Amino acid sequence: MMKLEAIIQPSRFESVKDALREIGIEGMTVTEVRGHGRQKGHTEVYRGREYTVDLLPKIKLEMVLPDPLVQRAVDTILKTAKTGKIGDGKIFLSRVEEAIRIRNEERGENAL
Amino acid sequence: MPGSVTPLSVLGPQTEDERNRIRQQFEAGAGARETLDALCNLADRTAQQIFAEVLRVNSTAPQGLSLVALGGYGRRLLFPYSDLDILFLFGNEKAEAEFRPLIADFSRTLWDLGFRVSSAGRTLDECKRIEEDNAEFHLALLDRRLLAGDEELFDRLVKKVMAGSEKQARPFLLAELTKLTKERHARYGNTIYHLEPNVKDAPGGLRDFQAAAWLRQIAGDQRDGWKNSAAEEDLSATAVDFLSAIRCFLHYSNARNDNTLTYELQSAAAERSLGIPKGPARDLKRSPEEWMRLYFRQARVLNRLLLRYIEQKPAAQLSLRVRLMNAARGARNDIGKGKPFAVRDGLLEVVDEQALSDRAVTFALFAEAARTGIPLSREAERAIFYILKHPELPQKNTDLKWTTLREILGADFPSMALRPMQRLSMLMEVLPEFRAIDSLVVRDFYHRYTVDEHSLRTIEHLQELPDSSDERATHFRQLWKTVERRDLLILALLLHDVGKGMPVENHVTGSLEALDSAAARLRLSEYDTAEVHFLIEHHLDMSATVQRRDIFDPGTVSAFADAVTTQERLQRLCLMTYGDIHAVNPEALTPWKAEMLWQLFAATSNYFSRTLDRDRLHASDELSLLEQVSIQAGGANKTEVERFLEGFPRRYRAVHTPAEIAAHFQLYQKLGADPVQTELKARHHSFSLTILTADRPALFATISGVLAGWGMNIVKADAFANAAGVVLDTFQFFDLHHTLELNPSEIERFRKSLADVAMGKAPLEPLLKARESASKAKPPKVAVETRIGYDDTSSMQSTLLEIMAQDRPGLLYEVGSALARLGCNIDVALIDTEGQKAIDVFYLTERGQKLSQQKQELLQEVLQSTLS
Repeated sequence: MMKLEAIIQPSRFESVKDALREIGIEGMTVTEVRGHGRQKGHTEVYRGREYTVDLLPKIKLEMVLPDPLVQRAVDTILKTAKTGKIGDGKIFLSRVEEAIRIRNEERGENAL
Repeated sequence: MPGSVTPLSVLGPQTEDERNRIRQQFEAGAGARETLDALCNLADRTAQQIFAEVLRVNSTAPQGLSLVALGGYGRRLLFPYSDLDILFLFGNEKAEAEFRPLIADFSRTLWDLGFRVSSAGRTLDECKRIEEDNAEFHLALLDRRLLAGDEELFDRLVKKVMAGSEKQARPFLLAELTKLTKERHARYGNTIYHLEPNVKDAPGGLRDFQAAAWLRQIAGDQRDGWKNSAAEEDLSATAVDFLSAIRCFLHYSNARNDNTLTYELQSAAAERSLGIPKGPARDLKRSPEEWMRLYFRQARVLNRLLLRYIEQKPAAQLSLRVRLMNAARGARNDIGKGKPFAVRDGLLEVVDEQALSDRAVTFALFAEAARTGIPLSREAERAIFYILKHPELPQKNTDLKWTTLREILGADFPSMALRPMQRLSMLMEVLPEFRAIDSLVVRDFYHRYTVDEHSLRTIEHLQELPDSSDERATHFRQLWKTVERRDLLILALLLHDVGKGMPVENHVTGSLEALDSAAARLRLSEYDTAEVHFLIEHHLDMSATVQRRDIFDPGTVSAFADAVTTQERLQRLCLMTYGDIHAVNPEALTPWKAEMLWQLFAATSNYFSRTLDRDRLHASDELSLLEQVSIQAGGANKTEVERFLEGFPRRYRAVHTPAEIAAHFQLYQKLGADPVQTELKARHHSFSLTILTADRPALFATISGVLAGWGMNIVKADAFANAAGVVLDTFQFFDLHHTLELNPSEIERFRKSLADVAMGKAPLEPLLKARESASKAKPPKVAVETRIGYDDTSSMQSTLLEIMAQDRPGLLYEVGSALARLGCNIDVALIDTEGQKAIDVFYLTERGQKLSQQKQELLQEVLQSTLS
């Protein structure tokens, strides 16, 4: 089992979610986050007031997947979240030791 | 303890059989009262039997112990899975020690028979003391009923203990009950209109009826305000029966004490016409939505009763701070002088109830609430309700005109009028389109409230912006304060989801149909209708753009700006989106979403002010406009109209209606007779001046100077020029010294002064000198740092000068003069004021070109020294 975390552009979220659903991934945790990598923020001026946009809005997706699905999920996100511009985001993968469903205490991939 | 109580094997099946019988009868159509009564009798009988049995087994007499039913059980309103609230009342501590094992046996047996016993034990002395952290117990004790045991002891409790202690505890109980009620209502968002309401605890639930009964009981039913008319008593009794039937049904369906009326159970309840007494009405087929409307109607009755009682009770009065603020508002606004209503204890009261037969008075009362933010008292609502419910009473002026409705919608606190109007069903009378969403449940997992409640909440969220400490409100506060034509925004919010209650595929289509009918009935102008139409049609666009487009992509911003067309529309649409998301549920507008919305607003707004001169009107492409202006100007020659319009920035077309453009054209036609044409109109607290003349050096500065010389403070201005060099300037200004307001004869002199100075027939300096000596500048309340900036990239032809500075009379004249002295030509000027901050944008050219670097530096230096 692997945990997949993807930071993507908010505008790509709907497409990524739909594409993941198509390959059978429905369960995920979605968080509204702010941050920046190499895509630095900028300063905007509105009616004489300056405000910085140094932390840009992003969407974080988290899901734990059985090994055979991981590569397909990564490919799907790469394909649907990519615009080719700075700020498209990142995908992180990490190994998961165990998963337990609280309701019936099922373990392992059955709990996913 | 020797022996044991009568075997469960005997009592168990008997109790179960009886329970099943009661349930079957309920399911066969028995009423709620009958069911509750039967359940209570069963509980009473069983408790008495077991109590007698434990006494027998323990060979003891009940002297020194009374079993007292409390709360709902005490009132004989025992629902299928409700707790049995029982007080074990002991004569003294010794009795308590003796009876303790017996009570344990008693309670255990009842539990084993399926009764959920919730018990408390107190000695007689303990009952005298007020437990300040346990108001609930004292309130439950109000419904005491002897179940079994020592009658004399219970008698002593009632006559000797409670008679005195309840009187003494009255202020405490009133205050606590109010506090508990407010906390309970707040837990449910202070509204009855939940998609899946809790029929016991939510506002309008059975707990509201009980709280009202307690309030009346504690207050002793002495004052007039507590009395209900026979009709009101009937309404309450019907509502209690209806809700009790639902609660029984929920308990049976869920097999536990769960009082949430879920979607699934709403369908089942509608199917069996639950709560509707036997007769033809019960046989009608109803959709779950229609049945839920009946629910909300009954919940409204119970909620209204409780809120009226809470207002009656001294402890529930508004805080001193709020009362003082309201009194100050009242004094400031001259409320009550010669009017049939007045402010009392921080609430608007009807002084002359007879006057309500004139509906204009009622509407004026609502307008007053919307203007001042002072709520109507429940008694005032009751008086209006009485008139509405008695159509045989004479009534006049029942039609609401758009001018009056506009006054309500455009005020600072529109919801202070709209809420009572909704409670009294008057909102549906003046806006029948709203009926489609009255108490309408639309099932989704995103919204939390009924559609009408959602719509009213959108307005409340906007109205609360000025005083909100919520971080999400930060950027939007100023927008709300400065938005123009708030009435159009509020009307759009009232109607934006009306289509959800209409048989249409897309609710926006339905809402637009509703607008058409409302606009025709209220006789909205073409411009007003178009603006509301735009907001309804595009009410989902801004949130869709925020969530599904890259708002940092200039292409997204320009496409969005092209769809929105003007800054004024953008401002209204942004506020509409803010209110709409916020009112979905308390968590829907995350700080993240609010920030994104703001980013899109700011980017679009900046786009508007930086690209203003990019597009110019080409009159030959504007056939429909030409046609309309020509007609409105009394059949004017279209070639002439075309010549007039050619070359104005597109913004001119966007911010003026065809009627206004026709009026401008008529001024233009008179230029031959008089080279400076002016039009002065008094607006709400301010004046609007339009000047039309041939362009000449320093014209904008000169007009600003005349206004400053007359003591006028300019808060908004636009300057446009057409291809033929005709300049059209509009100024909105405050008449600081009320010169024009108090001396109508001065208006003509003011116009002449404008024309003379503009034409160079009279000098400006004496005017300014006179003003300088007459005015003593007050120190500003807020210091605004001067900022001057250029933008050379946004416009193809001009350099944009952006100035932010402390606002003061004469500021625009000083800036305009400096620009003129340095040979800068103003192509477009956008002048605005936020509080004490002036925000000016000028599109400048010098001999048809952008300003050189050198000129920019020189201008910067001159302005800096002028403004500091």
